[in-house]
Amino acid sequence: MMRILYMLYGAAVLVGLSIAQYQGWSLARVNEVKNVPRSVRDNPGSYRSVYSSYHHYTGGK
Amino acid sequence: MSAGGRTPPGKPQTRALNCPGCGAALTVRSFNNAVTIVCDSCHSILDAKDPNLQILQQFKAATDKDRPHIPLGTRGKIRGTDYEVIGFERRTIHVEGVAYSWHEYVLFNPFKGFRYLTEYDGHWNDCSTLKALPDVVSFSSPPKVKYLGETYKHFQTARASTSFVLGEFPWQVRVGESVEVSDYVSPPRVLSSEQTGNEVTWSMGEYMLGRDVWKAFRLPGSPPEAKGVYENQPSPMSGEVKSIWLTFAFLLLALVVLMIGFDLSAQNKDVFTGYYKYDSNQRGEASFVTDDFEVKGHTSNVELKTTTDLNNRWIYLNYALINETTGQAFDFGREVSYYHGYDSDGSWSEGSANDAVAVPGVPPGRYYLRVEPEGDPGHGMTYYTVTVKRDVPQYSFYAIALGALLLPAILLSWRALSFEHLRWAESDHPMISTSGGDE
Repeated sequence: MMRILYMLYGAAVLVGLSIAQYQGWSLARVNEVKNVPRSVRDNPGSYRSVYSSYHHYTGGK
Repeated sequence: MSAGGRTPPGKPQTRALNCPGCGAALTVRSFNNAVTIVCDSCHSILDAKDPNLQILQQFKAATDKDRPHIPLGTRGKIRGTDYEVIGFERRTIHVEGVAYSWHEYVLFNPFKGFRYLTEYDGHWNDCSTLKALPDVVSFSSPPKVKYLGETYKHFQTARASTSFVLGEFPWQVRVGESVEVSDYVSPPRVLSSEQTGNEVTWSMGEYMLGRDVWKAFRLPGSPPEAKGVYENQPSPMSGEVKSIWLTFAFLLLALVVLMIGFDLSAQNKDVFTGYYKYDSNQRGEASFVTDDFEVKGHTSNVELKTTTDLNNRWIYLNYALINETTGQAFDFGREVSYYHGYDSDGSWSEGSANDAVAVPGVPPGRYYLRVEPEGDPGHGMTYYTVTVKRDVPQYSFYAIALGALLLPAILLSWRALSFEHLRWAESDHPMISTSGGDE
C-alpha cells in the first residue's frame, strides 16, 4: 500500500517537473506588466520599472 | 522470553482431587500430563505424579496480586486448534537492578499437547517447543543461531526466576527456581533457550497482537495496551523500506530519463547578445532599449545572462523584456556585485561579476529589452554583455524533484531505524550505546 502511494506521489512529482520544464517555470521573481505603450521603444525613460530604486548592495566585507 | 519445560502429552483423564494442604477442591484439566499442580487456595505446589499429591513447595502470594488475563480453564483456538489454559506463571529477570516480569500461560490440547502464550507489557507470543536444535553461527557478533534456514540474532541473556505459579504444569515447577534464558530474535519470531545445568530447552515464539489473543479466547473487554517496542515485534515498516527504496530507484531513473529528454529537446539557443557600457559618473537618462529579437517555439523560459567586468563594485540593472506586438512585459531587476580583498583571515571574495536569471513562461514573439543600469557615482565605467537564451533547462527543478522523491523514503527509513533503535535499546546489544555497548 505504502509503495503504491509512494509511486503515485512520485509520478505526481515527475508530472509536475515535466510541466515546469516544458512551460519554462523559474524560481526568479519577475513582475508581469500588460500593455506597455509602444512609445517606450522611442523613449525608454518613460517606462518605470517596479524594481527602480531597489535597495542596492553597498559593498564588500 | 521463553516457555517452560516439556513433557509429551498422554490421553487426558479427569479425577476429583483435594489439596492435601488446605483441603480445597482441585480442578485438574490435563491429569496424566501434569507434573505439578498448584493449589489456588493455599499456594501449595503438588506432585501430580504422586497418588497422594505430595506437597513439593508452598509459597506465599496475594492471590489477587497477579491474576492471569486469561482465566484458567478458558478455551480458545490457536492456529486452528482448540486449547485450554491450564497453567499460569510469572517469571522475573533483573537487569541493572531493575526487575522485569512477564507472564506465561500453559495451554493444553489432549491431541496436540502443550503450547504456551507469553505476555509482557501487552506484547504476546505464541510459543511451542522446538523439535530440532538450532545451529550456532560461528564467529558472529552478536551471536546468532540458525533454525529452518532463518537466522536469529542474540537479543538478551538473563537469569529468570519463577515468582508466581497457578494451575498445572508439565514440568517440576517451583517458585524461586531460576534458569538462564537466552533470546534470539528474527521478528516476528523469537527463539528462546532455557539452561539449567547441562540441560537446554529451546522454544520458538511468534508475536501475536493482544486483540488476536482476545479474539482467540473470546475474552471480554480489550487487551492491555502494548507498551514500547518488544524484542520480536514486527516493525510496521518491515518490508516497506526496501520496496520504497526500490521504487525510489525506479523514480530516479525516470527523473534521469526526463532530464536527458528535456535537455535534448530544449532549444537552449542564443537569441540575442548585446555589448554595453555604463558610466556611473555621467548624469542623465541611463535607460535604453535593445534591438528586437525573435523568441521562437512554445511558451517557455528565456535566460538572461549578464557578464560584467566588475571589480570591487556593483551595478544594478532594471530589465524589462517587452513583447513588441502585445505590449506584455516581464519586469525584473538584477544586482551584480563582485568584491574581493585580503585581511587578517586571508583572502576573501563576495558575489560574482556575472549573473543569470530565467524569465518564466515567455510566449513566442518579437521582443526587445529595456535596460536601466544604476550604480554608485564615482564607480566609473562598467562594461557588460547581455545574452538572451531561449528554452533553457532549469536544473533547480530537478534538485527539488529529487528532494521531493527522497523525502518519503528518508522519513520511512528514519521511522524504521527508530523502531529498531527502540527494539535493541532493551537488549544486550543496543544500537547506540551510552555506556559502552558492543554495537
